[in-house]
Amino acid sequence: MTKLSRRHVLAAGSAGTVAALAGTAACSDPGADGGTEDLDPSADVTISVGDQPTEDKPEELAAFNERVDEFEAANGNITLEPSTEVWEAQTFQAKLAGGTLPTVMGVSLTYSYELIENGQLPDMTPYLEELELLSELNPLALDNVKDSDGNVYTIPTGLFSVGIAYNRSIFEQAGLDPDTPPATWDDVRAFAQQIKANVPGATPYAQMTTNNTGGWMLTTMTYSNGGRIQDDAGTESVMGEATIAALQLLHDMRWVDDTMGREFLYDQEGVRQAFAGGTIGMVLQAPDAYNTLVRDYDFDPAHFGIGQLPQGGAGNNGTLTGGTLKLFDAKATPNQLLAAAKWIKFYEFDKYYDEAVALADAESNAAEGNPVGLPGLPPVSQEIYDRYLGWIEPHINVPLEQFASYTGSTLQLIAEPPAGTQQTYAALDPVVQQILTDEGADIAQAVADATEIVNGIIEQAAR
Amino acid sequence: MTKTLDAAAAATARRRRKPRFDPVRWARGGGLHAVLFAVPVVLVYVYFSWGPVVQGLVLSFQKTNLIQPAEWVGWGNFTYVLSDPGLVQASLNTAYFALLALVFGFPIPIVLAVLINELRKYDTLYNALAYLPAIVPPVAAILLWKFFYDPDATGMFNTALGWIGLGPFPWLNAENSAMPSIVLYATWAGAGSTAIIYIAALSTVRTELYEAAEIDGAGIWRRIWHITLPQLRNVIFVMMLLQLIGTFQIFTEPFLFTGGGPNNATQTILLKIYNYAFVNGDFGAATALSVLLAAFLGLLSVVYYFVTKRWSTTT
Repeated sequence: MTKLSRRHVLAAGSAGTVAALAGTAACSDPGADGGTEDLDPSADVTISVGDQPTEDKPEELAAFNERVDEFEAANGNITLEPSTEVWEAQTFQAKLAGGTLPTVMGVSLTYSYELIENGQLPDMTPYLEELELLSELNPLALDNVKDSDGNVYTIPTGLFSVGIAYNRSIFEQAGLDPDTPPATWDDVRAFAQQIKANVPGATPYAQMTTNNTGGWMLTTMTYSNGGRIQDDAGTESVMGEATIAALQLLHDMRWVDDTMGREFLYDQEGVRQAFAGGTIGMVLQAPDAYNTLVRDYDFDPAHFGIGQLPQGGAGNNGTLTGGTLKLFDAKATPNQLLAAAKWIKFYEFDKYYDEAVALADAESNAAEGNPVGLPGLPPVSQEIYDRYLGWIEPHINVPLEQFASYTGSTLQLIAEPPAGTQQTYAALDPVVQQILTDEGADIAQAVADATEIVNGIIEQAAR
Repeated sequence: MTKTLDAAAAATARRRRKPRFDPVRWARGGGLHAVLFAVPVVLVYVYFSWGPVVQGLVLSFQKTNLIQPAEWVGWGNFTYVLSDPGLVQASLNTAYFALLALVFGFPIPIVLAVLINELRKYDTLYNALAYLPAIVPPVAAILLWKFFYDPDATGMFNTALGWIGLGPFPWLNAENSAMPSIVLYATWAGAGSTAIIYIAALSTVRTELYEAAEIDGAGIWRRIWHITLPQLRNVIFVMMLLQLIGTFQIFTEPFLFTGGGPNNATQTILLKIYNYAFVNGDFGAATALSVLLAAFLGLLSVVYYFVTKRWSTTT
């Protein structure tokens, strides 16, 4: 064996260095820039699509992959690259900034205004018009994803409004009618007192307070009292009596009635775990909680009940909406955006128009043990949605009668605060926490301080 | 005398007269290859270590979401984070945590180390027991402690304290007890690994010193005070600095225990930075506050170095 000479080693090392340098240069390519090429619906295009089910859900994954194949067969020029990327609040901003998200994926609707404002969503109006999708979408939902000029930036799906979830078993033990959820905040307070008197060890009413859920729920309660957190244009904070009344109620339930238990640092996940543990009487939730409670935490479906959001003041004030939006890559080319919109139309909306697709979708979900027919706000018109529900009726596995008060609701649907939504919620978290952990807290002062902070956030968002 | 001076002058002159740099000879002698070999390392270091540092500095003067082109905003991000009404409280909370951790968390590992060191039997067992918390992953440990801190009377700590007629305490659910609860956990989690370092340092203390002291009639406390602690002084100073820097960067504990609550009682600087970046998507503000924190810690380290240097030489 000939020994490698020093010169050889050095030469190899040098060559390696040069190759590494070349590689680094290649990696620093900034990527495709959107908006420079003309729209050509028949051009070959490849897009990545998120929300592919993971391997541990074989039925769902097979159904998803089948839809991908069908789509590619129907659209010969489009190649799909499925990705299991899903929205996660903790990593979303970093991945969005890093440009590692697929061409299209689902994201919480709460980001809608911020993403539009920051130029992180492309204007989808021309593509949605091209696909004639704009006229099919529920106009109430579209209000959440438009800018002031009426341009539409995304497709909203999986919509819901906040209601009040309750444990039917605890209601029965307390001598309350499990088919009659509280309609007003006075009811909530009275029901909580009755639960406290009759069900020892239960937390009659729980409130979320951390990771922005405190602000989220305070906003919801403010809406239910007829107030707002920001004005409609998102130019200033307009918290007032409605917010103070909501906090006063929480204060009285905590310190006068003592009907809120001892844990005041719940977030969404935490409160759902506690609710699934069967110790919480009532908590503000949307019907999607059913999904997590029953499927992930093994909560007995027979104990789940949900009513429309309790109202304050003169009543019939409204509730807050939420849901999913389809995040399209702002850096994608026009052809990619059109293809992505086509895919969403095919995957999310065909089931409302095609009975066979609706049935196949319902069957695969039912086989996987997912709730089928879970009430929510339809992304399409009510008429079309009702027809769809008729098709999938044999597969519906959700006890719809336990959602009756929620589904019968005619409350006005109010969008989230438009400017710096999550930051606004974050600023309101401490206010709710303070009321619940400090008996002597000055509510009016806390609201005044929060107003100042929210105004600062609005200013920074507009900067 | 003159001879020596001359010799010294000649030596200086020799030292000054450097051989002229000859690129050809340098390259033939392997200089070029040496540089080529260093290039990948330097590049990797610059790209992955210094790159982010410089990028962070640049970001702190920009408004960017990394999708739209960045805009220069001058000191805008700094004025924004400095005028944030929550900054003062976050700074005070961080300082409060550092203080509590120093007063309660700092002496415990030293005491632990000294005690274990004094043991003649089973010291390995106690070593292992002391170190045990360090091998539990922090996230798992914190989630476990969240159960211990259950504010109900049926919670684990509250039940135990109830036996001796104390409580129930709200632990994380009250503004005045949230931070001490976090410090209690942090002390439990951190004491073991710090104690190990002290134990290692203790093994270097010469036993003759103790023997001499014992002959002079010194009891255990005097031996600890006059021998052990002075001998550990340098390690203690370094550990204290590391702990100070560590406590100013506290994040995991408040993030998982309380999310900064209740009412911002456990909101810390690093939690604020995290929220700026990953909740608000305001990378400019996040890097601006990071730069300020880094500058502060740098300054703290320099001051600390000079202060402890003086102590070291005067005692």
